[in-house]
Amino acid sequence: MPMKKQISISNGVKCLAIALGALFLLTSCKVLGKEGLVLMTDDSYKATVFATNKIGFGAPDGILWNKGKLYLADEGGVALEAWDQDDGLKKLMDGQFGTKSPEDLVMDAQGNIFFSDDDAGGVWEVDATGKQRLLAGKDKGLFSTEGIALAPDGSILVGDADAHEVFRVTKDGAVSIFLGREFEISKPESMVFDDKGNLYIADNEKNVLYMLDTNHQLHVVIDRKDQFSPETIFYAKGALYITDSHASKLYLYTPNEELKTIAAFGGQLKNVQGVTVDERGDIYVSIQSDLKHNVGFIIKITKES
Amino acid sequence: MIYSIALSALFAELTARLTSLNDQILAGMNGMAGRSWFFDSLVGLTQGNDLVKAGLIGCCFFAAWYSGKTLVDTRARRKVLLMTLVAAVCVLATTKVLSHTIFLPRPAIESQKIYHLSGDDLVAMKRTNVRVPLDEESQKDHRDLVNGDVKTNDLGSFPSDHAGFFLAISLGIFLASRRIGLVALGWTVFVILAGKMIQAEHSPLDIAAGAAVAITELSVLRFAAQSRLGAILDKLSLWSFKYSALSAALLFAVVFEISSTLFHIRALLALAAAARLHMMMGG
Repeated sequence: MPMKKQISISNGVKCLAIALGALFLLTSCKVLGKEGLVLMTDDSYKATVFATNKIGFGAPDGILWNKGKLYLADEGGVALEAWDQDDGLKKLMDGQFGTKSPEDLVMDAQGNIFFSDDDAGGVWEVDATGKQRLLAGKDKGLFSTEGIALAPDGSILVGDADAHEVFRVTKDGAVSIFLGREFEISKPESMVFDDKGNLYIADNEKNVLYMLDTNHQLHVVIDRKDQFSPETIFYAKGALYITDSHASKLYLYTPNEELKTIAAFGGQLKNVQGVTVDERGDIYVSIQSDLKHNVGFIIKITKES
Repeated sequence: MIYSIALSALFAELTARLTSLNDQILAGMNGMAGRSWFFDSLVGLTQGNDLVKAGLIGCCFFAAWYSGKTLVDTRARRKVLLMTLVAAVCVLATTKVLSHTIFLPRPAIESQKIYHLSGDDLVAMKRTNVRVPLDEESQKDHRDLVNGDVKTNDLGSFPSDHAGFFLAISLGIFLASRRIGLVALGWTVFVILAGKMIQAEHSPLDIAAGAAVAITELSVLRFAAQSRLGAILDKLSLWSFKYSALSAALLFAVVFEISSTLFHIRALLALAAAARLHMMMGG
């Protein structure tokens, strides 16, 4: 019996020594381990951190660059915000007004901002003077609004994840069905018009990118099964910029060409959400590192001169 | 204060030396690639073909299961091998969890332009020079990478799950039967793991960390096998004699899975997880 105990103690000491050795090795390697990564698959681009929570936002989802200002649908911070170089971050609307989870946003030529909310539902507006209102809410069938786009006729198109439909909302708040269930779009997460009037729709439940042409015909543009799940799409200068929160990638799609990856994200930066492009062609990507604890980043991706 | 400064300096020095050694070994191993199509194809075969890669390990496991000159000896060996299987599953789970926590891309990926988060800044990482093997599979992977097709799995290669899994199995076989174990260990180190470094899929650091996980967990389980776990393993090894036909059939399934790094079991688990998600979403 004492012999057996001696063997056990000796083995225990050995185990402890090995475990400590392994722990040291793993700790030293953890020091080398990178907690957030951006891999540029296109060498002509470079990445920088444009903004962090230090400027005051929470965990933004949709973002929009317009005339030197960055507008944020701050899902984590439950607010619509605007940032510029001189004034910093300003809240345009917050949770006190009834929004719960700002999702995506658009701005019309007059400077009025419209945004969706996948928890509170509806289409919300902050006009150019700062006046806030719920343009159309749950009472009109908008239960979980996702992608939002500005139609050429000035109306707002908004996708609803619960209804699996796309609705048209006029500036006076009238709601009608634009794309019904017969189009079989599961979750219209993001929408954008190109310069020819075609509407691109990102469905991140079916993992498909659709295009609705000007004859109201719906086409599947990208369907890569499990390898592609479009989160946000933004159209600029003849190309679509697409974020994919499942694969943690930023793509560039030019019609009739292959889908091209610009960057892949890892670690703290893997949850890519919104994307927008400024006048110079610089790309901004919002990252929700931790939605629950309001940790987010805005990463700027620029062409190297 | 002085002690903490000295410790920090020592830690920094150790880390720097470890990194330098890692880079040197990797450069040496990967330096063998990209020179001969035949050699690269042979190395590729040991990485991509389950029969070549792990078939031998499976055979060793089978041989160790039936080795032993007496009934008592065979039973003791089976007990060790059963403990090894538990350890191998734990090791695979640990390495997967760690690789999702620590983000060190594969050396082949590090040849690309990468920025890492340092505080509130993105800092460009040092790009590694990697020789691309000439076999078709590696060339295709490289073309995909250049075209921007990066697999998410490639962004977290630390620690190596292959190193952890196969070293746990080989060490377990070694504990059960020295002679057979040496064959398994030799194949794991000089064929499977060396191939990973030649192809720049893993750095020595990834492999060392995988090995550390394997040794630690195997040791802990070996320690646990002396108490309550030992009683269960005893019963199981006894049961393998009592129901020899059924245990042989189960052993075939186990060895088959070892040879494919639990690929089919993982696929089944992924399907179960997807089905659960599907049901939760009301699909």
